[in-house]
Amino acid sequence: MAEKEGKEKWGMVIDLDICTGCQACVTACSMENNIPFVGEDEMAYGRGMQWMRIRRYWEGEYPEVAPAHEPMLCQQCGNAPCEPVCPVFASVHSEQEQINLQVYNRCIGTRYCANNCPFSARTFNWFDYELPAPMNSYLNPDVSVRRRGIMEKCTFCVQRIVKGRQNASASGREIADGEVVPACAQACPTDAIVFGNLSDPESRVSQIARSDRAFRELEELGTDSRVTYLKGGKNYGS
Amino acid sequence: MSDNISRRDFLKLSGLGITAAAVMTGCGPSSRYVVRHAYVDMPEYNQTGVSTFYATTCQECPAGCGIIVRTQEGRAIKIEGNPNHPVNLGKICSRGLTSVQGLYNPDRIGGPQKRSRGEQNITPMNWEDAVTVVTNGLANSGKVAFLLGLTSDHLFDLVTEITTAANSMPPFRYSSLATLEGRATLVKATEEMFGKPNLPYFDISNSDVILNFGASFLETWISPLAYSRGFKNFRKQKFGKRGYLISFEPRQSLTSANADLWVPALPGSEGYLAMAIGKIVAQIKSLPIPLMYENITISDASKISGVSETKLQEIAEIVARAEHPIAIPGGGALVTENGLQTAKAILGLNILHKNLGVPGGVYLTNGDSPTTNLDEIAKLIQEMNAGNIATIFIHGTNPVFELPKSLGFTEALKKVPTVISFSSFEDETVIESDYVFPDHTGLESFGYQRVLAGSDREAISSVQPVVQPIHDTKATVDVFLAAATSVGGDISAKIKYTDEVDFLQQKITPLLDSGGFYNAPELPTFWSKWLQYGGWWKPEMGLEIPEDNNQLSEKIDLKLPKQLSENKEFHLITFGTQMGDGHGANRPWLQETPDPMTTLTWNSWIEINPDTADKLGIHDDDIVSVASTTGGESIEVVVYRYPAIRPDCVAMPFGQGHTALGRYAEGRGSNPAEIWSSLLNQAGNLAVFETKVSITPTGKRRPLARQESKAGVYGEH
Repeated sequence: MAEKEGKEKWGMVIDLDICTGCQACVTACSMENNIPFVGEDEMAYGRGMQWMRIRRYWEGEYPEVAPAHEPMLCQQCGNAPCEPVCPVFASVHSEQEQINLQVYNRCIGTRYCANNCPFSARTFNWFDYELPAPMNSYLNPDVSVRRRGIMEKCTFCVQRIVKGRQNASASGREIADGEVVPACAQACPTDAIVFGNLSDPESRVSQIARSDRAFRELEELGTDSRVTYLKGGKNYGS
Repeated sequence: MSDNISRRDFLKLSGLGITAAAVMTGCGPSSRYVVRHAYVDMPEYNQTGVSTFYATTCQECPAGCGIIVRTQEGRAIKIEGNPNHPVNLGKICSRGLTSVQGLYNPDRIGGPQKRSRGEQNITPMNWEDAVTVVTNGLANSGKVAFLLGLTSDHLFDLVTEITTAANSMPPFRYSSLATLEGRATLVKATEEMFGKPNLPYFDISNSDVILNFGASFLETWISPLAYSRGFKNFRKQKFGKRGYLISFEPRQSLTSANADLWVPALPGSEGYLAMAIGKIVAQIKSLPIPLMYENITISDASKISGVSETKLQEIAEIVARAEHPIAIPGGGALVTENGLQTAKAILGLNILHKNLGVPGGVYLTNGDSPTTNLDEIAKLIQEMNAGNIATIFIHGTNPVFELPKSLGFTEALKKVPTVISFSSFEDETVIESDYVFPDHTGLESFGYQRVLAGSDREAISSVQPVVQPIHDTKATVDVFLAAATSVGGDISAKIKYTDEVDFLQQKITPLLDSGGFYNAPELPTFWSKWLQYGGWWKPEMGLEIPEDNNQLSEKIDLKLPKQLSENKEFHLITFGTQMGDGHGANRPWLQETPDPMTTLTWNSWIEINPDTADKLGIHDDDIVSVASTTGGESIEVVVYRYPAIRPDCVAMPFGQGHTALGRYAEGRGSNPAEIWSSLLNQAGNLAVFETKVSITPTGKRRPLARQESKAGVYGEH
């Protein structure tokens, strides 16, 4: 599924030096995207539905020990391993945004895509999770509510991209840099997450992605991921 | 967001254009007076498919962050940060994000109730009878007590007016979060050193080295979003300069995890460390050694704290070389017996560096911090036990859950004839109450919150309803005002407000010409701007500069931390989490958001160093009995082997272990307050870290839902 050059190529940079690992992005994502909470038992079975999770690895031995925190989400690969395996084309590449989308009403729940995702970024609705009234009142009307048997994952808050595009075209202009902000980046207390259009070399995200500290996860797989990390850690460059 | 605004008349009145990206309205569901319009002229908050945004203040903790709530068709959808607000500049934490799960929680109390204590025997009431009950309570003005939380400053102000008018006991304010933060100690130390009982503001944005003594400022400490932003600026300074964070803490918190150097010091020894660092720095910079730091030898400090002399020397050299090193006295260092002296020794380091009132230094905030010391709460408990309290009003705090069990609050409550709670949820205190008259939740209320410590300027944050109240609840301020009108005597004579909004408007009137970032000729215009912007604040930075009055010539007297018998007795560290003071436990997404360090969800745990655990034969997920070696109470809790904690310490999160508070909170984990020591430090702050415990395996196991195991922990067992 080769990509065509277009006006939009959304991407993200996460600066691990200022990411504190506080999990605000995780909660923000969940509240924006109507992600169900599954409860203690299902979490313990490894069936949590967080589209974004903070990977935490302990490094070193006491007392020189510290966790490495890394937010992990769908990397919106240009050559996405999840796409060609879907028998019903539920996992598709969007031409306009050049991101990786899940068509919920096509998905039949084979879970091949999740199997093939090297980032474990996809989550599966094993059950219909209860949301007792009146909690349904806070559901975001811009995002579909998924039910049992459906695969889902980070969409780069595509509803916000669409809204941004509509607003821009209504006033007859291009989408401005920084106009579209996904819920995680909007919440991030240290502004460690920067989002924008990678097809514009002058956008903030493109500029930061050219940093010396930039790397992409599992780059050797050649998935052409759209999420760039900036190396963190102690005392670099000093 | 659209540039088209339907409410032209309103905007004409207030003379405002659109300043923020969001269209924020000043009235809406909050309007007090009914105005009839034609059906075609729908208010914008009721138009299908159109979002309306309201600026208000987060009520999940007392930091006073500004939020903008997206509403649609009269429902609160999403909480976002207010980009103009000086505390959080558009940012938001997990606690604020989930406040809609408080508003729409299925376990809310639907209306006023009369209850039988300790039972599920509930009789619904109407609000008229409820006001009569409150009036009768107020009438006996000599025997009435108020116990409030740290949010809802306007309620505190009104209650203060009532108690002043009636000449009864002033209101108490308690929050376990403030206890763990060591607020009372910090305020007392600031008062003794700089003459003002205010919280200091630490400008970490512009400092190059932070010496952090136990403040978990990235998680919960005082104003976490303001300090998270400061941390980002500290790391990303001009010309690629990157600040260096040194953190002293027995258990690695998220803040220490982000430090460049984490120093696991014994709890209670932080004062010795500060003195030693002060002494070495003075030597390096060839300054005369101040009296405050004279009375210590480096080898003693090293022996007491467990930090090697070379490390101390190394740290002191980093500090001495720095331009603006800032020293922060935070929770862990303050909630020990040495707390007050420790806080002074740490604040003194800023004086030594002449780091007062300069960029990267320490300032004093405006307004006092009305946190009640625990010694006053202890006196209240005495009065309750002596039968001197006929009615107690409890709002915004859950004392049965949050106070140390050893203090005996629950028993004292049984001696009070009338206990009235204003809680929105059936929490542990409501179970022990005779009446519950539920207040609106934060997103349905009016009010204001004074910003005490997270802002570089004077700021008052406004609270306004973003949706209609969804239950038969009533603003507690309105309940008190109605009761004050009918009670007669001094209270009726002096308390003259028609309703809550009238009270708020009278309170903010002095701000009209006080040089805020907007001005208004009269109150209605000011009020609409106050609601639209989400508060009032000064246009530029301005805080009081503390003075160097030779404070360093005061000697510091520290007690040696107690020796423990190895592997038998441990220091119990209690740390705050996203559950805050415990009321967050009924937000399912706060439960499901993993703890940043352990990735644990939906439960509580005890952290033990793996070496210690090996010696005791304890594995992950073992249930152990944790018994206080002073009080004798014990709780059972599941073990998480935590690599970043001193071997002589164990640590527990605060906020779980509820026996009430609804389906999402009940029966999860244990509450460390049950085994807290009731020892106080010299500032009257609870010395939480003086709790010593023994650990005994019970032979039982319970796997905890940890996200670090992607395959699931149930698969491992």
